[in-house]
Amino acid sequence: MDQETRDKLSELVEELTTSGEPQLNQAKMKEVKKICKISNDYIDHFYHLIMTQLNQDHAEVRFSAFQMATELFSRSHHFRVVLVANLQEFLELTVETDAEQPLPPPKEVARKLKTQAIQTVQAWHTTYGEAYKKLALGYHFLKQVKKVDFQDVEARTLSERRRHEEKQQRLERIYKEKLEKAKQEMEEMASEIEESLTEMNNCMTLIMPDTFNFFSTSLNEKTSEGSSDRQKGTDVWDEKPCCSKDLNKEDGKMAETSQREEEKEDNNGDSDTEEGVDEDVFIRSSGLMSHTYRLNLSVSSDLNVKENDENEALVNTMRDQHRLITTRYLPVIQSWIQVFTKVGVEEQLMRQATDLKKSLEKVLRKHDELHIDYKTRQRRVLKAEDDEDDDDFEEVPEKEGYEPHIPEHLRAEYGLDSISSPSTSVSELKPSKPAEQPAAPPMPSTFSRIKNRLNEEEQDPTCAAATLRVLKEKVATSASIFGGSVKPTTSCTEQGGGEEKAPVVPFGMDLYYWGEEQPTAGKIIKNTSQHQFWVPHEVEEEFENKELSAQMKSRCINFAGCFQPVEHKCKAPNPNGSLCERQDRVKCPFHGLIIPRDEIGRPINPEDAARLEREEYKRREEQPDWRDPELMREIEAATGEDLGSSKTYGKGKKGGKGKGKKRKYPNLTDLKQTANTSRSRLEKKVFNKSSMRRVAEVMNKMDTRKHEKFANQFNYALK
Amino acid sequence: MLSFLTARQTGVDDPVRLRRAESTRRVLSLELNHDRDVERIHGNGVNCIDIEVIEGRYMLSGGSDGVIVIYDLENSTKKSHYTCKAVCTVGRSNRHVHKFSVETVQWYPYDTGMFVSSSFDKSMKVWDTETLKPADVFQFDGNVYCHHMSTIARKHSLIAVGTKDPKVQLCDLKSGSRIHVLQGHRGEILSVQWSPRYEHILATASTDGRVRMWDVRRAAGSLFTLDQFNGDKSKASSEAVNTAHNGRVNGLHFTDDGLYLLTTGTDDRMRLWNSATGHNTLVNYGKVVNESRKGVKFTVSRGCSPEFVFVPCGTSVAVYGLYTGELVTTLRGHYNNVDCCKFHPDYQVLYSGGKDCNILAWVPVLRQPDVEDEAKTGGAQAAVNPAFEDAWSSEED
Repeated sequence: MDQETRDKLSELVEELTTSGEPQLNQAKMKEVKKICKISNDYIDHFYHLIMTQLNQDHAEVRFSAFQMATELFSRSHHFRVVLVANLQEFLELTVETDAEQPLPPPKEVARKLKTQAIQTVQAWHTTYGEAYKKLALGYHFLKQVKKVDFQDVEARTLSERRRHEEKQQRLERIYKEKLEKAKQEMEEMASEIEESLTEMNNCMTLIMPDTFNFFSTSLNEKTSEGSSDRQKGTDVWDEKPCCSKDLNKEDGKMAETSQREEEKEDNNGDSDTEEGVDEDVFIRSSGLMSHTYRLNLSVSSDLNVKENDENEALVNTMRDQHRLITTRYLPVIQSWIQVFTKVGVEEQLMRQATDLKKSLEKVLRKHDELHIDYKTRQRRVLKAEDDEDDDDFEEVPEKEGYEPHIPEHLRAEYGLDSISSPSTSVSELKPSKPAEQPAAPPMPSTFSRIKNRLNEEEQDPTCAAATLRVLKEKVATSASIFGGSVKPTTSCTEQGGGEEKAPVVPFGMDLYYWGEEQPTAGKIIKNTSQHQFWVPHEVEEEFENKELSAQMKSRCINFAGCFQPVEHKCKAPNPNGSLCERQDRVKCPFHGLIIPRDEIGRPINPEDAARLEREEYKRREEQPDWRDPELMREIEAATGEDLGSSKTYGKGKKGGKGKGKKRKYPNLTDLKQTANTSRSRLEKKVFNKSSMRRVAEVMNKMDTRKHEKFANQFNYALK
Repeated sequence: MLSFLTARQTGVDDPVRLRRAESTRRVLSLELNHDRDVERIHGNGVNCIDIEVIEGRYMLSGGSDGVIVIYDLENSTKKSHYTCKAVCTVGRSNRHVHKFSVETVQWYPYDTGMFVSSSFDKSMKVWDTETLKPADVFQFDGNVYCHHMSTIARKHSLIAVGTKDPKVQLCDLKSGSRIHVLQGHRGEILSVQWSPRYEHILATASTDGRVRMWDVRRAAGSLFTLDQFNGDKSKASSEAVNTAHNGRVNGLHFTDDGLYLLTTGTDDRMRLWNSATGHNTLVNYGKVVNESRKGVKFTVSRGCSPEFVFVPCGTSVAVYGLYTGELVTTLRGHYNNVDCCKFHPDYQVLYSGGKDCNILAWVPVLRQPDVEDEAKTGGAQAAVNPAFEDAWSSEED
């Protein structure tokens, strides 16, 4: 036996079994077979390798090893002999014949392994059972002692099957309960749903007679009949047969639909009463040019119903019903149907449920097609308030003293001209309520008269006009004093020129006292004693805080300057040959201070180059030469000892690589990885040492408190 | 072989020598044989088997479901392949069947018309083989672990019975009554065996770790107790004085000539004793795995020059050299624990029964054909059985 081939075989087997894949790598397997074909010695070796791998506590390893064994089993007689000689162990490791040696995790793979192993044993038995006695014995053992049902695809043992049955029964019971519940619910709710359905339907037909199948439903026919009568009364005899201009959309539709009937009736009426009357009469009476006059209206099916006062109640009900259906009935019915399908209930119930669902959905669709334009809630509330005309109190906007905003049409009432106040002009620039109607401007003559009268009124301090005047004066003076015009509201009209240059700053205390002497600036009054007449005499009640006073008088303005984008790049050479593309202002986080460099990344200034050289040297010093990572890795590979090559070097370079210990077989499922379940996380919290200690302490404390030493002494004192 | 034959012909050798040499050779080549099957009757584990000594033709087996089966071992078909047929069965439907597991079955040593079986249903039944009806039933207070009838007794027809009770019962087949008890043990009696050399000598093994030798003519007590340390008190702890094993002693077997006694215990040891003196021969058999709570039925070969002992050991049967203690081979074939084995001295065939319901026959492999005609027969064999061929696909070249 060739040592080299032998080693190669071992290597191949290890690679194949630790691949973690559900299928073997065919190319490698072929190689294995090629080696095994050479001689029986290799097969023996292969058998030992396989058995060692089968003994591993990892289902994936076992599964792969098992697959390899099956591959070779069909090929080599010698392999069959050696495997069958130790079939007990093989079965223990793959079929789980020994209850004390369960298959290792992961579970799914173990299950797969077991199923496949059982099937394979059966296949082996049919082909080789005659020739290999132990194989037949093993098969009978599985069949009779372990009661494996080979017909069962799931290949379960008896106990497993029983457990499965029990589970099934339990589920069935639960479903049955659910079904009963659903049935009962359905019985209870069916009438409710029907009711709301009819309600919805009625609302819809009331708002909008069913246009799509006008002639089919009797109800709709009736309404159309009625509407057509009405139409006749209003439109036809007014000789405006189908002008839909002043009808709203829905009426138009009715008109259209009743058109044919009208025509017919017209014709009939003509023929009945005035037979043989010439066309002129007809034209005069009907406004139609001929008997064969046809009018085709194209009606867009796109409806748009607007909520207004007339249909408000209907729309409200409809909306309620809509909400009820979408949020309540539909989900409930959905759950029923789910239960029914799961349990497999009789046809009738199922049909009932689906019918209900269908009709509900139909109604919803219809509702959507209506495109009802709901009013917003706020408006509805306001409207409700408006409707209550008999209410004693009328909601009036707050008004006390100065009123910054006066509606245009009320301006005359207050004795103001419409453009005098800048504040109003501002308000006019952004109209708040589009619904507001601009009032007609007052007549000039009356205006002057009123103005005169108001001038007098201004003298009266109780009048609103007086306050306004005072305020106006104040504003005017302050505006003139400020000059620089920091108050945009007041200055914009008067000093349009300086506006662009002046900075806009937020209002502050300094502006409030602009140009005035502030007597109390920075003074703090200390009221040390709250007493009525007793006062500690030596305490100075007032003292001045310099800082505070400075704050009152000055303002600090941050000058941010303007942003200048960075033009330069770091350009330090990267290990991969490219240049660093970072555009930091001063310092690159990877390469330090940014210095001017040429195209290939060398520093232009010689002193920079020298400095870099020195730094590099210093780093080398820290990382001695013998710790060359490549060398260390080689040594490690040779000796198998960890010298720490992974952590010494290349913090910056490796970056992305994880620092954690490398697993031996990265393809296999990690068994040690604890499941990250909510339970485990909670466990980590609850059972961690410190929290346990804390809880124990608290409990101890509670215990000791129970037995306080002299707590109940009075008891003994009485005796 | 040829030299043995010529020596036998010329009368140089003792006639026994050839026989011994040949049977030893056969024992050494025991293998699970494809040609010999035993019909699968038992639906549960096989607890005990016994082969009658008169013809060596019929085999009794007792199952853990109470079923008793009698097999015919004789191959009269003149074909190499043979399945041992069940001659008759005491099945579950039989009115007299044992309710619980049958622990021991034994043929009457002088006639196949009678056999005795004992069971966990606290009874021992003496069966008439013809009618398959019990001729007599002995009832006991506890589970019956074992019983044994002397194979050489001429002056008595006693059956020693080991039950849950520490007293060994002696039942007389002549009177059909329990005539005697042997007191001395402190635990359940797991195994009893009459000496094949002296008809009144009886050995019993118990859960208290002791093995006692009795002379049934002496009512007072046991002759002696086997001591694993041979009386060397210093080695033994106080409890271990006069014990044969440190755990339960659950197996007991005399060698064929009755000079030695083999015992097995749950301390995973097997010991060989001089049956005359009770001296521990200190043969080291190594570890003999033994976890059974009941009696273990092992057997010793007969008629070989170094004798062998066959011990159930987990799922396999271990073959040891009796006097050397060397593990000769391990017979692996059962898929569950092996409970009993019996050696057929005429054909050097070993039968073993286990919890996997199988009774396996271990048959000596015939001599390989000589070198010159190997190629021819090999080819013929392959032609006969295609399953033995290799099936390498050509693509792997």
